[in-house]
Amino acid sequence: MRILLVEDAEGLGEVIQDQISDEGHALDWVQSLSHAETSLHTTHYDLILLDLMLPDGSGIDLLQKIRQSGKTTPVIILTARDQISDRIKGLNAGADDYLVKPFDLSELSARIAAVSRRYAGNPNPIRQIGTLEVDLTRHFISRDGVSINLTAREWALFEAFIQRPGTVLSKSQLEDHLYAFGAEIESNTIEVYISRLRKKLGKDYFETVRGLGYSMRRP
Amino acid sequence: MTSQQMTSPQMKSPQSLQKVLGIGLTVGVSLLWMVALSGAVYVSHNKLNELFDSALTETAQRIMPLAIVEIYNREDPKQSQQIMSFAAHNERLVYLVRNELGQILLQSHNADPTIFNQTLLEGFSSSATHRFYGVSAVQNTLHIEVAEPLTQRRAATIEMAISLLWPLVLLIPLCFIGSWVFVRYSLRYVIAYRDEIESRGSGNLSPVRVKGLPTEVLTIAKSVNNLLDRLRRALESERAFTANSAHELRTPIATALAQIQRLQQEVSAEPIKDKLVKIETTIKGLSSLSEKLMQLAKAEGGGLLSTERHDLISLLRLIIDDTQRSVSARTITLTLPPNGEFTSIIDPDAFAILIRNLLDNAIKHGINNQPVEIHFSSEGVLRIVNAAKVIPAETLVQLRQRFVRSNISVQGLGLGLAIADAIVTGVGATMTFNSPATGRADGFEVSVDFSVIDN
Repeated sequence: MRILLVEDAEGLGEVIQDQISDEGHALDWVQSLSHAETSLHTTHYDLILLDLMLPDGSGIDLLQKIRQSGKTTPVIILTARDQISDRIKGLNAGADDYLVKPFDLSELSARIAAVSRRYAGNPNPIRQIGTLEVDLTRHFISRDGVSINLTAREWALFEAFIQRPGTVLSKSQLEDHLYAFGAEIESNTIEVYISRLRKKLGKDYFETVRGLGYSMRRP
Repeated sequence: MTSQQMTSPQMKSPQSLQKVLGIGLTVGVSLLWMVALSGAVYVSHNKLNELFDSALTETAQRIMPLAIVEIYNREDPKQSQQIMSFAAHNERLVYLVRNELGQILLQSHNADPTIFNQTLLEGFSSSATHRFYGVSAVQNTLHIEVAEPLTQRRAATIEMAISLLWPLVLLIPLCFIGSWVFVRYSLRYVIAYRDEIESRGSGNLSPVRVKGLPTEVLTIAKSVNNLLDRLRRALESERAFTANSAHELRTPIATALAQIQRLQQEVSAEPIKDKLVKIETTIKGLSSLSEKLMQLAKAEGGGLLSTERHDLISLLRLIIDDTQRSVSARTITLTLPPNGEFTSIIDPDAFAILIRNLLDNAIKHGINNQPVEIHFSSEGVLRIVNAAKVIPAETLVQLRQRFVRSNISVQGLGLGLAIADAIVTGVGATMTFNSPATGRADGFEVSVDFSVIDN
């Protein structure tokens, strides 16, 4: 997933970035509302992590702008404000979830996964795809009781296809999904990861649509 | 100030301005009327006396020549004669004509010589019962004295006084009703001001706006609005301070916690990992303590009541939903009324702090794997029940105190129920603890009645 983190606290932002990146997601981290708006204009994000008290304004204002523009990108508010009235205000402004600081990093990861599953239209974390049994919460795949190990990047790519079943995803969309701004991407990176996934999961799961990209199918 | 203090026997109970003014004006008008009446009676009485005296003089002056002719035309002028009346009538004026020796020569038909002066007096004189006028003629050889009973004058004065008193019988109720209506009309804006203050919730700190207040009350109203404004700004800045403090405290704690958790993921050596777990536990404890202290500050500060009504049931659902995410291992059963709405003026944030603390207490001190039961009735009574050993009555009493825990084997700060108690007291609700819980042989039950807040 390509995630935008809007957080002005230096230390916290760094840790969240490390955690999310380790899980295989691409994360762009900005520290002000103005930078967040610029990023949102230029890039499609699968999820936004939004702090409320930012140096140039309130995150609620940005959230309202996002919703007014018609974007349905899931938003999780990360804030030190724990009042129920702030929570109601945030949810009414269009937030999908609300996490109060301090929080466990594992809880943050779980909320990100839950919100993205809800956004994809299927909140059930256990999926049966062909002969594969997938646990989206634990990042676990098995076939006939035998586990299949994926690296963080391979899992992130696999998750991108699960969230959009049957949709053809272009190479650049998949790159956006895996890499943040400034990351060095080899020209054949996506092909390499698709090849690895085919090897681990089965070649029939991924179809190459010539000139357009890749899609996942149920064999 | 509590209502008990307001109704203390040492304090004079407040009186209705309308009633005081109504009674005061009526008594005042009545007294004025009585003074005016006394003056009128006094003046009239004097004038009547002058009039009656004049009539006496005139009567004597008119009768005397006739009496002289009558006496001198007799065969024996020294013979006494009583004038006979032509027709029966009530004779009010009586007279005697006497010679210089006091012998009666002529008298009116109803005249009683005993009531007259024994000596021959000139001019006006009075006895206890009569008013006299005497005059002499024919070189003081004949004397006439006309008498008039004083009862007649008194009767005239009394009749006049009574005729002036009669309107007062009508005037007193008319004056009371009139002044009551007039005072009520004059005080209509003051009454509207009172109703506006009475009808607003105790959390409503917006200015009281009533037009047409008299200048005497307008100054008070302005001062009240200034005070409300100062109070509102003080509470807002207190809230802002709490929110900013929360941000300033929580963000570095969140950073430290996140850093420690990242380190735990990266370190594989067990001794270091154990130390990191201890540091994480300490940071979480610090986070919990700072949160509880901020909650206690809010609970003991102002702003526990809102200017608007909020549905407590939907708030409760939101809080429980939030809590269930982090305590998924423990079942929370929620029982709500079927028609599902109970509104109150309790501040939603204060309500949330109260519920979280009660729930946190039930989860921490309840027996593992036993559900925490939450009931909210349509009458606004919340009951939170958790399975637990029966707590002695003397311990139950102490649970509202800070840093007191019934079970020291459970990690906790002993602030949860103290915070809950401060909020409940601050909003005017009631909270009771029961152990064993109602209908059970064990357990701990907290019951909060929100219905009494509005009363």
